Amino acid sequence: MQKEDEIPPGWDYNPAAWGQRIPIVILALAGFCIAGYLSLYQFKMIPSVWEPFFGNGSVTILNSPISRVLPVPDAALGAMGYLLDAVAGVIGGKRRWKTMPWIVLLFGFAVGPLGFVSVMLVIFQPVLFEAWCSLCLTSAFISIVMIGPSMDEVLASLQYLRRVKDSGHSLWRGFWGFENVIKKVR
Amino acid sequence: MFARFATALAGVWLMAAPEFLDYSKKVSDNDQVVGPLLIAFSIIAMAESTRNVRWMNIVLAAWLFLAPWALAYHNIGALINDYATAVLVTVLSLIRLKKRHRFGGGWPGLWRSDAAHQQEAKRNPL
Repeated sequence: MQKEDEIPPGWDYNPAAWGQRIPIVILALAGFCIAGYLSLYQFKMIPSVWEPFFGNGSVTILNSPISRVLPVPDAALGAMGYLLDAVAGVIGGKRRWKTMPWIVLLFGFAVGPLGFVSVMLVIFQPVLFEAWCSLCLTSAFISIVMIGPSMDEVLASLQYLRRVKDSGHSLWRGFWGFENVIKKVR
Repeated sequence: MFARFATALAGVWLMAAPEFLDYSKKVSDNDQVVGPLLIAFSIIAMAESTRNVRWMNIVLAAWLFLAPWALAYHNIGALINDYATAVLVTVLSLIRLKKRHRFGGGWPGLWRSDAAHQQEAKRNPL
């Protein structure tokens, strides 16, 4: 494949290049470590949790009713979310915006809407429990930082799917990366 | 980029303000809902492909203008703080991030039929 073939039409760089994706994957892994550590506390596998600024804040937040709304504690769900971000960030080659739109859109969904859930959790901390949890805030910050840099790749995939639709090919086949669509649509 | 960074700091200030000013629960809740959203939208709008997310901050600023009436709070300190923040956020969010890259017509390219990505694909088919 030639170099210019990697760059989406009308773009001047490739949003699926490794240089674009690796930093996001590293952030996701950092988020995974923090959320994983917090979930160890929630699973009672470690007796206490590190809290440099807000005294008893982390203990309050990590034992709050909201954190147990689902069968699995929320930090563990966060850790799984980060793992999904990292895995979906790594899968596929440099042309995946075209060859695997499904993984790009899954990645975008995991980083975007799921990442934004962390903002809601940040709001709950003072509003519902009048406490702050430093590592929870750090984790939320990482989630938000990941969103912007991930969305260009999603845009490239969606534009490709728009061209698939315009050309009269099956959107479904384009989405799953069928060879005959990849070969016919720019 | 500076404007987005400054808007995020305004969000941090709103989150922290109830610690320093004499606020009722209603007022501090409002600030602590708006603050994290300001931070989130500002950071997302730092990326070029999502730079227009900055408009969401203007929506939040508009809410800060309406909030004293909508929530009927009579705390003059909170009112001044919310209004000052709202003015600052509005001005900062009007500043556009410099364009460095081409994005095939961007998000509007998804609903237009002659966006840059479609034209380029027609000019240089496979």
